[in-house]
Formats: sequence, structure tokens, C-alpha cells
Amino acid sequence: MRKILVLAVVAVLAVSVVACAQKPKEKPTIKIGVQEALTGDWAYEGQGILNAVNLLAEQVNSAGGLLDGRKVEIIPGDNKSDAKESALSAQKLINSGVIAVIGSYGSTVTEAAQKLYDEKGIVHIATASTATRLTEHGYKRFFRICSSDDRQGLCAADLIVNKLGLKKVAIIHDNTTYAKGLADWTKKYLEERGANIVFFDALTPKEKDYTAILTRVKAAQPEVWYYTGYYPEAALLVRQAADIGLKAQFMTGDASNNPEFVRLAGVEYAKGALITTPPQPADLPYPEAKKFLEDYKAKFGKYPESIWSLMGADAFRVLVEAIKQTNSDDPGKIADYLHNQLKNFPGITGPIEGFDERGERKGSTYEVYTVNDQGQIVPYKK
Amino acid sequence: MEQFVQQFLNGLTVGSGYALVALGYTMVYGVLKLINFAHGDLFMLGAYLALSTTLTLLAAGVATPWVVVLAAFAASMSLVGLTGVFIERTAYRPLRRATRLAPVVSALGAAVVIQNGVMLAYGANYQVFPEGLVAVGGWRVAGMTIPLFRVAMLVVSLCLMGILYLFVQRTTVGAAIRAVSLDHDTARLMGIDVDRIIMLVFLIGPALGAAAGIMIGLYYRQIHFTMGWVYGLKAFTAAILGGIGNIPGAMVGGMILGLFETLAAGYISSAWKDAFAFLLLIAILVVRPTGLLGERVAEKL
Amino acid sequence: MLRVPPKFWAGLVIAVALVYPWVVNDYWVDVMNFCGIYMLLGLSLNIIVGYAGLFNLGHAAFYAVGAYTTAILSTRFGVSTLVLLPVAALAAAAFAYAISRPIIHLRGDYLCVVTIGFGEIVRIALINNPGGLTGGVNGIIGIPRPSLGPLAIRTVDGYYYFILALVVLSVWAMRRLEASRIGRAWTCIREDETAAEAMGIDTASLKLLAFVLGAAGAGIAGNVYASKMTLIAPESFNFWESCVMFSIVVLGGAGSIPGVIVASLGMAALPELFREFARARLLVFGLAMVLMMIFRPQGLWPSTHWRRQVEREREPGVTPTPAVGSPSR
Repeated sequence: MRKILVLAVVAVLAVSVVACAQKPKEKPTIKIGVQEALTGDWAYEGQGILNAVNLLAEQVNSAGGLLDGRKVEIIPGDNKSDAKESALSAQKLINSGVIAVIGSYGSTVTEAAQKLYDEKGIVHIATASTATRLTEHGYKRFFRICSSDDRQGLCAADLIVNKLGLKKVAIIHDNTTYAKGLADWTKKYLEERGANIVFFDALTPKEKDYTAILTRVKAAQPEVWYYTGYYPEAALLVRQAADIGLKAQFMTGDASNNPEFVRLAGVEYAKGALITTPPQPADLPYPEAKKFLEDYKAKFGKYPESIWSLMGADAFRVLVEAIKQTNSDDPGKIADYLHNQLKNFPGITGPIEGFDERGERKGSTYEVYTVNDQGQIVPYKK
Repeated sequence: MEQFVQQFLNGLTVGSGYALVALGYTMVYGVLKLINFAHGDLFMLGAYLALSTTLTLLAAGVATPWVVVLAAFAASMSLVGLTGVFIERTAYRPLRRATRLAPVVSALGAAVVIQNGVMLAYGANYQVFPEGLVAVGGWRVAGMTIPLFRVAMLVVSLCLMGILYLFVQRTTVGAAIRAVSLDHDTARLMGIDVDRIIMLVFLIGPALGAAAGIMIGLYYRQIHFTMGWVYGLKAFTAAILGGIGNIPGAMVGGMILGLFETLAAGYISSAWKDAFAFLLLIAILVVRPTGLLGERVAEKL
Repeated sequence: MLRVPPKFWAGLVIAVALVYPWVVNDYWVDVMNFCGIYMLLGLSLNIIVGYAGLFNLGHAAFYAVGAYTTAILSTRFGVSTLVLLPVAALAAAAFAYAISRPIIHLRGDYLCVVTIGFGEIVRIALINNPGGLTGGVNGIIGIPRPSLGPLAIRTVDGYYYFILALVVLSVWAMRRLEASRIGRAWTCIREDETAAEAMGIDTASLKLLAFVLGAAGAGIAGNVYASKMTLIAPESFNFWESCVMFSIVVLGGAGSIPGVIVASLGMAALPELFREFARARLLVFGLAMVLMMIFRPQGLWPSTHWRRQVEREREPGVTPTPAVGSPSR
């Protein structure tokens, strides 16, 4: 019996040897990786981003490809919304010979893979990771196509103090990288503007009952309360707040800019909520955006719901532009172009003024939205 | 003061949910000495099945809310009970004579299967119960708002627990269950069909868990296939807190855990809430190693 | 069955292991690296669960202590992570001693839930970042690679041999432990604690020792993980990780060293081979766990150490009684 097992072990090893005997050979295609959460908590977003990139790659290829007819090959990597898996899938993508990687949704998983790509000199464009820390490591080939948390914090603070004229603020986060970062930045900018933070604490995500923390918030008597976490909890919070009679203005961050928030909360409870977010796909006035939305619908049968899919699309488009303009697929040259030469590129998510020396996209994409009486998320007009 | 009462009530509702699920754990442990890690996911399954029932009935044109809700309870509880029996037959019964460790891994595996099965069947998104099924709004008492449904949840839970307690203490079948908890072989000698009793336990326990799941679904409205894992863990903690194998213990444990957790979140820190719950458990076990009300299983010498 | 000594097979496996990185590409070597870390974790948990028969579902806490000790000391004080290897082990061991002492007398399933509790408390503490030590939910980044002067382990292959060396050392150490008086005492405790007490064995101290040694092993694994990933975050040390480690031990055959090795290979490597089944992958995994237990509850490679002992010492004419595992308690 034991002998069989040993042979089985050897066989497993042998199979894996054979399975990966195809070591990197000739690279006729231009390989671009998309590392996202294709399974796990954020599969919803990750799959949207992958779809967007696949759509555009198809368009490029049917128009003749790049660099004299070479096809673009999109290689997906699944990080399962987990840091360790992110490192592994990064390794896999590196081994496939990618020159650039687009991804990921979620700052922690992006961070786990960043260093690996940097060590191999691969261009890495983050689509939906807003933690400011990511551009502070000094990775020369890392870029961020979305705006970072500090911009959103600024937007929130401005909204509260300048537009709404309110002073007493409660902030709740959920101890994830993104939410806590946003909460910290908002607090900082609010305090700079003279607002008074009456409550600041974290809840535990993935639970159902938040009346305990909401009762505390109510006791602190804020004029506005800002939840910086994700939409499932946001939905629970608005409902339970109404239950216990917390009547202050509710605000939430871009992770709740999602029709799911309204669906889970119910229109009755969600309406009137304010959301700091990059603009919704349907509200983008740019011609590139409209064309992209129609193409997406034609291929996948529905409009992309999430702005992050469009961020993914823009990441791909700037890569393609860089490849075309530098006439090469060398990551170093691409990175250099993106840093120094890309200016006012017409992006789907808005004009991309360029990337600064840390890789941040210049300018800010954040605006304020609200949930109207019909339950739609529309731009907020004061 | 008002805050305290509000938090206290919050805690009671949370606790009653834990108590219902804890009952399932404790009963199964009593008869099989097994920690059924799949139980939390049965709670989740209950919520999902109730959702399906509700949606089907509403689509078929049934309009009266209470009919829909009752049907959901009936359908979901029975289906989950049957699932419980199925799991017992397939994943646990073959392992009755094996080591203590094997059933635990089998239970973990079953939990993963149920979770992912639900994910594949219903999708990875959060699912939502339709509006208008349960009364919203509450009573305004002395400046606090007491949501109607929370009180209903509490009452229903207490009723179910009461019924179970009477069943186990006062009926012959209940006596049989208690006998099997003490010793399988002797129970057999007394003429009790041990396998049948175990089957019954796996019918009742998960059904109670399902009831908790349905109420959670109706009240909080959003459900997700991962919600069973953590909830189950807390409920298991509650069962241990009260004394594993001890039915009143599970009820007491659930309530205490819910109250403590909510009050700690309310007065100390919401972020450390779960840590407090576990610290409470450890503190109690250090002082009373068999739980608050003691266990009702015989220690084999 | 071939009359080939076990040492031959061990040698064969080691030979294959040594040659492995030369034949496969970086990605598969990396998979083996993570697999190796799981082996270290499985072996260390094996001491607690397999040898001493204690129910530990919070092993990730010790893993975390090792990883975070390494991370904090190396990023704040610039100590080399290689030097920190024994330090991490010690820290985890000390931590295990501190938390196990008050609860060591708890019986089986109660101990189980308390270990789960400790695992969760540690994880929550890491997230809440007391005193700014743990970096909160972002974790700690910039952990340096292990180095001794100019030599550093940076490449995937380099890590492979480093981890391989650690695994071989661990196996050797555990074999010695298994055969020692301590190992025999643990077996006694595992089989029947009351009888062991009656024999005069200090069960409390020995159980504590199991926790401490197991934690030390996990601490080492934590150190390696930290320096390999160069960033650690609390989410890598959650309850599910503890469940995975526990399952590795039981699926391999509690108390069996080759069992743990094979099970780690299975747990870590096979999901990689089946990446294509993406969404149903976990379902199949769970199903596999259940089926494995039903059809082979003693594990893939159950411990034969004691059976061989008994066979060797058997008097002619006496039939040995099997003593594998302990029936329902």
C-alpha cells in the first residue's frame, strides 16, 4: 500500500513536470496579463474588468493588431481576492511572459503582487486599488488609473463642510485597507477644515446586526455620518439606522456606488444617500465612453455596471497607446512613455492628463452622487 | 440609560438568533459527540431556501404576506431538516467507529460543499428578500424605537426553544434522545433505535437553525453564501459557553453571548467585539471547565 | 511487497526533490515553496494533534506570531530575517506557553473551541493595530529577504532549497521526538489520558510541551512566509487557514510524518493543477475532504510507527491488537 502511495507522489510530480514542460518559448503575441478576483468575494468586479479588457483586445486584434500585425493576447490571472493567491498568480503571469499587467480590484491584493512585478520590470497598472500607499513604494513601473483615497477623502470633506455646511461628523469604517485609508484621509481633511469628528470606529464586516454601533453613533448626535466600507454593510447600516431612529444625513464611499447598494437596502432606505465616487459609466459625457458602453452591451448583453470595468478598459487603452507611440513592447520604454509623454489622452473615464512621477493619475475623478427617489444613483446637484 | 436599554434589546435579538443555532450544535454533540461544523451552513441554507419559496409563491400570485412567510418557514425548515439527515447518513454515519478527528474534517468538507453548492446555484452576489413581507416600523417608547420585528424574532425564538425543551424533557422520544446522549450501547439495550434517534436529532437541530436563518433573512433582508461560517462559529461558542450537550445551556449561552457582544460593542469598541466574545468564553471555561450550566454528557472513565 | 528498506524510498523522494527546480519553471517551483511552508505547518501541528492528540484549530495564531515577530523586528530594527528564524520560533513558543497554561486542563472539544477563540483574538488584535505595532489591516511591508552578509535568498529556486532544508530538518527532528520517551508519553496521553495519569505521567506538562513545540514549528513557518512574501497582512492568518492545517494533518493520517508530507502536497499543489475549474474548485475540494474521510478515515498514510514497534517487540504466539487511533471518546 505504501509503495503505491510513494509511486503516486512521484506520479503527481511527474505529471506536474509534464504539465509545465512548455517553458516560455517564442513570443509571437504581445502578452498582457489581467490579474483580478475572478473568484472569491469580489468576483463581481473582477470579472467585469476582465470582460472590458477582453472586449478592447478583440477590437485591437480585429483592426490588425499592434506592432506590425502582432496580436494582443490577454492572459487572465485569478487572485481569488486573497493576498497569497495574488502572489502566486502574479508568479504565474510572470512565467507566461507578460510585458504588462492590469489589476487589481482591492489594494491588499494589488500590493501583494506589486513587488514581484517590479522585480521583473513588468509594467503594472492598478485599476481599482485606491490605497495611497501603493504609489509610495517608489516602483518605477507601477501606475494607477483610478484616483487614490486621499482624493476621495478630500471630496468628502469638501462636500460636508463646504457644500453642506455641516460640522458634526461620524465616520465608520470596516478595518480593510481601503475603508480605513479613506476614513483616515477624510478625518484629516475634515479636521483641517474645522469640522468636529464626534465618532470614529470600525465595524466587523460580513455580519448582519449593526444596531450596537449605530446606537452609539446616534448617541453622539452627528449631523452627517460617513461609512467608508463596502456596499453590503452600507445597505444594512441604512436600514438599521432607520430602525433605531438615526436621522442624520448618510454618506458613503465609492465602494457603494453600485446598484446592489440600492437593491439590498431597498429604495425607501437608500434614497437621499450621498456617495463620493468616480462618475458612473452611464453619466460619462465623453464619446469614447458612449462608444465603449455600446460595444460592451453588444458583446455581453448588458451595460457595464461598474466604473471599475471602465477603469480596466482605460488601463488597457493607455497601454496600447504607449506601445503604438514607442513602437515597442519593451516595458521600460512603455513605462517611460507613460510617465513623461502621455498627455491629455482621451480616456473613457475622462481625459487622462498624464501620470506623475509616482505613477498616480493626475487630477481627480471624484464627484458626488446621490440616490434619487426612484432608487437610481444619479449625480448630485445642489 | 436609554442607550443601555436599546443596546440590551439589541443584544437579546442577536442572542436569540445565536441560541437557536446553538441548539442544533448542542443536540448533535449530545448524541454523537461531534462538532457539526456544517451546521452554520445549514442555517444559511435555510435562509436561501426560504428565499426561493418566497419568490416562487410571490411569482405565483400569492399575495397574503403571512401565508408566504409561514409557507417559507414550513418548506425551508423541513428541507433543511432533510438535508441534515442526508449529511448525517453520508458524511457522519460511516465514521461513527473511527477516530474523533475524522468526522471533524468530514464536517469541514461538508460545510465547504454546502457553501459552494449554494454559491453555484444562486450566484455569488448577495441575495435580497422581497419587501413587504414583514412588518416594518416599531414602537416608540420613552425616546427609543423598538422595531416590531425584533420583538417578534425574540418571541418566536423563545417559543421554539420552549417547545424543544418540553419535547426533550416531557416526551418519551425526548427521553430516548437524552438516553442516547448518555450512552449508545445502553440505550440500545433499552430497546431504543439509536440510528433513528440520531436521525431525528439531525432533523430537529438543522430545522431550528433554518428557522433562525429565515428570520435573519426576513429581517436583515440580505443573505450571502458566506454568512453561515462566522455565525455558526459564534453559535458553537454559545453552545460551549452554556455547556455542550445541554439544551437549556445552549439557550442561556446564546443569549449571554449576544448580550455581551452587543454591550461590549456598544460601550467599549465595535472593532474588538468578537475578541471580547471569545475572551468571555475563555474566562468562563477557565473558571467552569464544562460551561455555565455544565454538560449533559457522561465522561467515559 | 518489495523488501526495500524505507530509507531507499526516502532517498528517492529527496533525490527527486533536489532535481525538481531544474526541470520545471518558476511558477511550479513557487507552488512547491508554498507547499513546503504548509508542510512545516502541518508537521508542527502534527505534534499537537497527531502525537499528543490535542484538538487545535487555532494554529494560525502561532503562525501569525512567528510571521509578525519577524516582520516587526526586521522592519523596525533591521535585524536579518535569517537571524530571526530562531527568534520567531521562540516568540511563538513563548506565546503558546502563555496562552495554553490556563486552559491546558480543558477537555477535547472545549479545548478546540478555545483554540479557535485564540486564533480569532490574535487575528482581531492584528487588525486593530494596538500601539501601532502590527500595521493594522494593511499589515507590514518591506520585510527584507533572509541574508547572511552578501549572500541573500532572493530567487524562487533559492527559497526552494531553503524550505527544503527546513522541511528535512523538521522531519528529522520529529522522528527523534516520536521515538523518544516524550513521544511515547504523548501516545499514552492520546490513547487514554486517565490511564496515562495513573501511570504517573505528568499530562499537563506534556500537553503544554506539545503546544510549545508545535508553536515553535509554526513560528519558523511564519518567519519563512514573511520574508518570502515581503509583506504580511492579518487576512492570511484566519480561521480557514487553521482548518486547512488541521485537515492536512488528519487527511495525511494524524501522527504520521509521511502522511503530513503527502497531504500537504495534495492540499497545496492539486488546486493549482485544477485552476481551470475555477468556480467549482472549492466544491470539489470539500467533496474530496468528505470522501477521503469516509473511505479512508485513518488518513492517506497512517502512522505505522507504533505498529512496527509492537511487531518488533512481539513475542511469538501473541497476536498484536491494533492500536491505531482512538475510538469514540
